[in-house]
Amino acid sequence: MLNRRAFNLSVLLAASAAALRPDSVLARTQDPDEILLNRLTFGATPGSRERLASLGRADWLKEQLSLPPDDPALMAHLRTLTLRIKYAQRKGKSGPLWAATDELRPLDMLHTPPEERLKLTQNAPARAGPERRRPAHEVIAASLPRAVHAEAQLREVMTQFWHDHFNVYAEKGRLSAAFFPDFDRDLRAHALGNFRELLGEVATAPSMLDYLDNSRSKASPANENFARELLELHTLGAENYHNAQSADWRDVPRIEGGLAAGYVDEDVYEVARAFTGWSIGVGRRIGSAHLPATGQFAYVASWHDPYQKRILGRDFSSNRAPMADGEEVLDMLATHPGTARFICRKIARRLLIDDPSDALVARLAKEFLRRSEAPDQIGRVIQMLVEDPEFADTPPSKLRRPFELLAALYRTSGARVGSPEGRFYWQLASAGWRQHMVPPPTGQPDRTEDWASSTVMVRMIEMAMSAHEPWFDTTRDRLDALMPKDVETFGDLTRYWARQAHGDPGDGLDDLLQAVGVMPEDPLPNDAGDQRHLAAMALTFAAMSPRYLYR
Amino acid sequence: MSDPILVVIFLRGGADALNIVSPTADPNYIAARPDMLRVARGGDAQGIRLGDGLADVEFRMHRNARELADLFAAGDLSVIHATGLTEATRSHFDAEAQIERAASGGEAGGWLGRWLDAEAPGGPLPALAVGTAMPESLRGYHPAVAKKLSDLTVATGHWLAPALQARLADGFGDHGALAKTSQELLALSKVLEHRLWMPKQDAFRTYRPSVKYPGRNRLSPALMTVAQSIKEDLGLRVATVDYGGWDTHANQQGTFDRNLRGLSLALMAFWRDLGPRQQDVSVVVMSEFGRRLRSNASGGTDHGRAGAMLVLGPQSKGGRLLGRWPGLHNDALEMGADLAVTTDYRAVLSEIMAGHMGLKDTSRVFPGLDAPAPGLFA
Repeated sequence: MLNRRAFNLSVLLAASAAALRPDSVLARTQDPDEILLNRLTFGATPGSRERLASLGRADWLKEQLSLPPDDPALMAHLRTLTLRIKYAQRKGKSGPLWAATDELRPLDMLHTPPEERLKLTQNAPARAGPERRRPAHEVIAASLPRAVHAEAQLREVMTQFWHDHFNVYAEKGRLSAAFFPDFDRDLRAHALGNFRELLGEVATAPSMLDYLDNSRSKASPANENFARELLELHTLGAENYHNAQSADWRDVPRIEGGLAAGYVDEDVYEVARAFTGWSIGVGRRIGSAHLPATGQFAYVASWHDPYQKRILGRDFSSNRAPMADGEEVLDMLATHPGTARFICRKIARRLLIDDPSDALVARLAKEFLRRSEAPDQIGRVIQMLVEDPEFADTPPSKLRRPFELLAALYRTSGARVGSPEGRFYWQLASAGWRQHMVPPPTGQPDRTEDWASSTVMVRMIEMAMSAHEPWFDTTRDRLDALMPKDVETFGDLTRYWARQAHGDPGDGLDDLLQAVGVMPEDPLPNDAGDQRHLAAMALTFAAMSPRYLYR
Repeated sequence: MSDPILVVIFLRGGADALNIVSPTADPNYIAARPDMLRVARGGDAQGIRLGDGLADVEFRMHRNARELADLFAAGDLSVIHATGLTEATRSHFDAEAQIERAASGGEAGGWLGRWLDAEAPGGPLPALAVGTAMPESLRGYHPAVAKKLSDLTVATGHWLAPALQARLADGFGDHGALAKTSQELLALSKVLEHRLWMPKQDAFRTYRPSVKYPGRNRLSPALMTVAQSIKEDLGLRVATVDYGGWDTHANQQGTFDRNLRGLSLALMAFWRDLGPRQQDVSVVVMSEFGRRLRSNASGGTDHGRAGAMLVLGPQSKGGRLLGRWPGLHNDALEMGADLAVTTDYRAVLSEIMAGHMGLKDTSRVFPGLDAPAPGLFA
């Protein structure tokens, strides 16, 4: 290893600010291709730059919108991954309940059918908590490899977007954990598809039904948890909550077609009644109902509150067909202009800027409503956003969030990712990013100011410095081995990492060379450990620049 | 005495105040909930009686909050019941945003952010949000955000730290989201390195509290960071701590009882740990709303309206239940369902800012507030 005493610290201190002057980096015009890759993928790679250059932006986007999930190379990679499971022995009254376990196990739960995973939720036989939570842990373990290696990058970006939007705390309960792989798969399958279909999958997903307590909601009084978040977070959004403006539900203004423009508490109460009986096939008797052992959605007619309801100003008659109340609520919400604006603003916030203009949101919302029957409704909204002049005219201002930064670092280096000890989860958690483990239903925030804090900044630097260290446990590839053989001098090294990170070697990382006290033409040390260390520093310096951190 | 310090503990999710400080003899209360979701007058779940109650109504503290009852009995803790937003909302997001902004007219920033921005206190660490995210109350100011103080240093001990710090100092210019963050972080990093870094051991000095904090408790590490920041004399004036997990729609009892035990034990440890520095500190415990009087069919409670606020500190006159108790009979409930709000929560915060923090013109922080002070200092 390079010894810190090998360098003259006074030189180092004097070296400070040579190459980088305030704003000079931001002022440097960024390549539109690079910006597009930074916004719609988890970071540019030499391969993705090449693909985009050869197809052109329009065709590249079409390809990204049409790529199915789970490309063969990704699936093959996921099959090679393991995740440790470890717990102590537990003794019961009549002998051991379970034996001590400590093994590296493949991510098999991702392919196990739900009725098998249902067994993990049952009281007998006794099982250790880590076994019960295993399906959730495997989804988390696969999430970073997916972000780094998936060919369908835009789909992966939007899958994470929907995870934030339809937040589920994977470990909330046994059921939310056991069925989290299904939830993740559904979000990915519909990530660029039709919003109503996506909403229907979410409202019947066992993980969501458990997380927001709807699986226990029966008449009466109904459990309001899902109903409230469905309105406030999943569809209309708090911006359409009219409680403060309208003391009475009769006063809420109407929109074209007669529906209320927004919702008040009474709508929450009524929507909760509409979803009573939407539950999970857990395979046992609960009160008066016997639920099938499917590990999938189950409707319990005897729990449903069948009487008349009034939702967003529309009257529902009594005793309708099974699930008709809930389905109609989802129909009304998915095609409500308030939902269109709320969802489109969030998509623009994810892919472009924290506060997209109202005009842009209105254009997108119009497309969202016009395409409400289209199987590729969400993709069409994204396409419109990317082709909008505001997309090209908006300079990068979104800070990469911790998960995105970590994925980008591995895409920059070209390392293969897998975390047998699951340590990357904890690294991200220390930066405030709890992948699939956010308890409140609001999910991970998506405004840059929420992530531009001192602690996140410190963690981002540490991640850049150590993401490729063995103890970080997230890749076996070492940076010295990832560099091509013709990187022979310090100048080669800094140019190589600047090009990997930024697409061009413009930021020559001169400050790094000065700090090390070398000239660009000086040869790199021969020792692999030294090379690795220097490469990590070059990657860190390249990453800690506005053109890398903002997208 | 040093500059006064305010610590705000926010119980995220809507804490069930009717199960913390409870009108145990009220037949409406008894009828609305199963035993496991209410405080009892006798038996195993007997609550601890709080003085003479409020307006001739008997109130008891949940048995898991014994330490809070002790602080109440010692005259350090006040309880203001039936507090909350005057405009009805039962949305977490909306209620938290409104409560933390505390501005009726859409004024910018959060209430703590507005005060800090106007007061502009000096020192390296005027405001600390313990955790990994900044709460809305601090919006408009740029607080340090960290779980522990050593998290506020940049690559300390690394041989390239100076060059890396120089890159951060120069690279982010004076605009963009990271400009201010990087400048303040680098300044704070320098101070903390000087105070806490032990180069020979290649490690940060760990904080040694003067009392033992409860283990396996989410609140303990956060309050230890606050106590350390106070004792290190870093110029701390405002600290915020989030304590989540109060959104108990189903199977409330286990979660709620654990959360409350954690709050009570950790807060008592923090208070003892401060020792003579108690003189400088006030602690406010609040939530976005209380929960429905009547429990639901899944062993939980849905979003309600009024909650309770706790104020701890020697400057205020503790050992009293304050506010106006609206009662729980059907006509007194808001929309026939929820404990009604009789004290604007801003009146409590405003009185603390005036009485403890020495703020003369509270209208700057709480514009449009027109409600009598609950009498914390009277």
